[in-house]
Amino acid sequence: MFPFIGAIMLLLFAGLLAAIALPRRSRAVGSLFSAAAMLVAVSALVSSFLSGAVPAPEQYFNYISQFGISFTLQFTPISLALTVMASIVAFVAIYSGNPEKSSEHTATSLLLLFEISAIGLFCSSNLFIFFIFWDVGVITLFFMIYLLGSANRRRAAIKFIIYEIFASSLLLFAILLIYFYTPIHSFDISTIIAGASSIPQHVQILIFALLFIAFLINMPAFPLHLWLPDAHTEASTQGSMVLSGILTKFGGYGMILVFQMLPISSTYSIYIMALATLSAIYISFVLMSEHDIKRIIAYTTIVEMSIILVGISSANPYGIYGAAYAMLAHGFAISLLFLVAGSVKHTYQERDIRSLRGVVSGSVSSAYSFITGIFATTGVPLTATFVGDIMIFIGAVTAFSVYGAVSIIAIILIGAFLYYVANKSILSTKEKLPVQEYIGFSQKAGMAILIFFIFLFGMLPFIVTNLFNV
Amino acid sequence: MLPILVVVPLLAAAVLALLLRNNPEPVKYIALLASLASLAIVAYITVYNPSATASFDWFNLGSYQFIVSVSTASTYQLLLLIIVAIITPLIFLYSIGFMDVPSEQPRYYFEMCVFAASMMLFAMSTSLITLLIAWEMLGITSYLLIGFWYDREHAPTAARKAITTIIIGDVALLLAVVILATAQGGFQYPVAGAGTGVLFLAGILMLIAAFTKSAQFPFHEWLSDAMEGPTPVSAFLHSSTMVKAGVFLVILMLPLFNTTYLLYLILVVGMASVIIGVTNALVSRHIKKILAYSTIEDLGLMLIPLAFGQVYAALALFFVQAFYKALLFMSAGSIIKANKGEEDIFKIFNTGQSKVVFITALIGTLSIAGFFPLSGFFGKYAVGSAVSSNVAVYAILVLAELGTSVYIFRWLFLPMRKNPQHEIGAGANSVPLTMIIPAIVLAVLVLFAAIVFALPHSGVLDALVLQSTNTTEALVVNAVAAAGLIIAYLVYVKGNRFYLSMNNSHIFAALNNNAITNGIYLAICSMFLHVGKIMGMLDSDFDYTTYRLSYNIINSGKLAKPLINGQTNNYVIGFVIGVLVLAAAVLYVVI
Repeated sequence: MFPFIGAIMLLLFAGLLAAIALPRRSRAVGSLFSAAAMLVAVSALVSSFLSGAVPAPEQYFNYISQFGISFTLQFTPISLALTVMASIVAFVAIYSGNPEKSSEHTATSLLLLFEISAIGLFCSSNLFIFFIFWDVGVITLFFMIYLLGSANRRRAAIKFIIYEIFASSLLLFAILLIYFYTPIHSFDISTIIAGASSIPQHVQILIFALLFIAFLINMPAFPLHLWLPDAHTEASTQGSMVLSGILTKFGGYGMILVFQMLPISSTYSIYIMALATLSAIYISFVLMSEHDIKRIIAYTTIVEMSIILVGISSANPYGIYGAAYAMLAHGFAISLLFLVAGSVKHTYQERDIRSLRGVVSGSVSSAYSFITGIFATTGVPLTATFVGDIMIFIGAVTAFSVYGAVSIIAIILIGAFLYYVANKSILSTKEKLPVQEYIGFSQKAGMAILIFFIFLFGMLPFIVTNLFNV
Repeated sequence: MLPILVVVPLLAAAVLALLLRNNPEPVKYIALLASLASLAIVAYITVYNPSATASFDWFNLGSYQFIVSVSTASTYQLLLLIIVAIITPLIFLYSIGFMDVPSEQPRYYFEMCVFAASMMLFAMSTSLITLLIAWEMLGITSYLLIGFWYDREHAPTAARKAITTIIIGDVALLLAVVILATAQGGFQYPVAGAGTGVLFLAGILMLIAAFTKSAQFPFHEWLSDAMEGPTPVSAFLHSSTMVKAGVFLVILMLPLFNTTYLLYLILVVGMASVIIGVTNALVSRHIKKILAYSTIEDLGLMLIPLAFGQVYAALALFFVQAFYKALLFMSAGSIIKANKGEEDIFKIFNTGQSKVVFITALIGTLSIAGFFPLSGFFGKYAVGSAVSSNVAVYAILVLAELGTSVYIFRWLFLPMRKNPQHEIGAGANSVPLTMIIPAIVLAVLVLFAAIVFALPHSGVLDALVLQSTNTTEALVVNAVAAAGLIIAYLVYVKGNRFYLSMNNSHIFAALNNNAITNGIYLAICSMFLHVGKIMGMLDSDFDYTTYRLSYNIINSGKLAKPLINGQTNNYVIGFVIGVLVLAAAVLYVVI
């Protein structure tokens, strides 16, 4: 069996070294290596589809064998889907997320490091390396915001890191608790899944609470979402793309793990569903009061992640696999929207929808990509989000009857508002702004790649869903 | 595999249109050929293999099989497919003349081909998943087509209004499909409607979806704004695609609505839409908007017999309306083209000069008014006889038909006025042949389509039956149409042609109620935006509170500052107190 994950990690690591060593060629080198990694990830997906099963785990070395900590990377169907998404989104971010060509060296190196940590996290087979990759990813993105963002980036970055480090401290505590209370002391996820039911009830509740808060911060959803709009607004385009496209999936993936590991979680699912529904509807109202196009898109992330949380909380295979598929879809859709926002900013030096006018006359590809992004966000059929959404709502209605589907209202609300933005800023050509600078080929190519994958996974969902064993 | 072949040429043409972006010359002919190929396949299916099916497993998830399946086994569905297949080539032929700017043709034909293909898919779909895909594809392509001329002032706003209404229906249908799928354990069409619990909710959601698509009260106002799109799009949208999908959904899902409340809902909404359509059409001055309100009325008329369970009556009107409405829109487009884009019926003159345009328009108006033996008569008659058992409904229908006759002849007479100073009407002779021919074909169809009711029932003709022949009711339809013609002639030709069109009386305000509807829509939207503002303020307050809280926690360290002031005697006192407390504690434990 070809060691796909090892190959991906090796390519990315070589790319990272090369990008650091060649400051002037960093973007080209980084794009090359991450494109190669993307091809390996896609071929892993194709080969799993052809053979009908995910590749075997790849063990590299025993790190601390007496604690069951080994550097073992493995694909589950969900992590394979997320790995493919992460590799594509990171490639597009490196290749086309920076029309200004500012600080390419730093940005490319950080993005490659983040890509390594993201893929490592999705593929990690034990909670110890899960935690390590989690922290590497979070800290990398902290520097991404702190060094490369816009004017108020420092404050946003500090806010981001406070929330995330708090989350990771809870995560560490919970991981240690799990280790000590499972009968066979181990960090290995499959061992924990097998033995978690023997953890005493009250400890399970504690572990669940800790992990739930940690992942809720990262996803994010309603009471703990405050870091996200600021971080996205202040981050560079590349930063926003991976922040929304990949980092928020850490929390979603972790939440799925919680529901798989701890049997107690399903007793709380109704409350989680209520919280997620509230979050989706509340945030879709909040985003109507915003004027910054990047902030609006950032808020749609919270709405989408809340709907994904509804799917996870249903705790049945339809909801959970639907959530995984929706995360895959959301990664493409949201990074497309952020790429468009960055291109529009580059073209017009303007992000405020009150003064932005007539994008379609200056940058046709941005305008159409934005509208495609709306289709992908609202889940029009043949985009990947549709498959995820319908699975989520089938799961939610199965678990909670029709009350599970109340969050569908949020789709109407964000859809209506995004079409309003499209009408006001993208299509209406009255008092249009002068073009400052046209976007280059790489931006258009990046949008095309993302749109291609949105429709590919929307039209051929069986490539992924056949692996889900329901 | 036969039914899938129907949409293949259109999708191929759509792809070709995208590829030929820089060389648009052949695109229009490719699209026309593709639509003719589809028509040929539909004709083959109808004659040789009327119950063809095709299905393929899209993906499976546990017990849910997401199957895309199409079939022409149901005569209703075959009928809709035939209507769409006949209208599409005519629209594409008309477009060759109407859309004469080469640079915008690839985009236009791409969107039109996808639009037509999704409607055909909708017509043939036999699983809820296929239905949902086709339904939402119709919605987004109509958004793109209505906003096609996005550089015009009102087009983006009209498109947004349409999509905002449509997205409500799309999400409602998605939820209805999810509820039905979980209740039945699969995506097949519901066969028996137990009208309780979740299925009742699914029924309401299906109806909301149907009303948004069919522009029925209270979701009707997007349709008149949709006139901002190119005229061939309007002709297509109003005759056979899009708005017809809503009514057809009600026909398909009729078992689900088999409870009194939902049938009442259909009846009330249908009646309200009929009234709204007629009143607005009576006072509108826009040559296409009059027809748009007329479509709202037609669709309401199709819903009313459905509330009485009379599917055949609805289908009769469904069938004939496609031809006369497409014809009327094509006439309107030709008149607009001849008058260099003028759309106000009071500023258009001399349309009688072009005999062909005038005669085809006259055939359309006579048909919609309901004169025997034009096909429109049979539709109106079928609807009338379906509801004649209920006197109140029947009376309102007769009044509505009188109104129809009046506004449609107003629509015909006003642009006909002779005005020698106005030379622009003379351009009527410059209407290209590609716009004339489809209108003639449609006029022939309008004249003779009624023959199908007399043919022996077999195959698809099973769907087209007149349930009864009642001479009195037939006479009523004709008498009402004639009365409307006379009133329109007396008022708008002999009398004050501005009657009910210019003054701001209460009657005018009551008739011109689209302003009220738009006001309500605006109020709802601004209410949402206001709630959004409040929520936004709440969110930033929340943000500020957490900020203050963390700030205070960090600052609370300052409380301990006086203790660490560098004075050694304080430290010594503290040390002694500590030792004493410790000693006391030890003593307490030991003793």
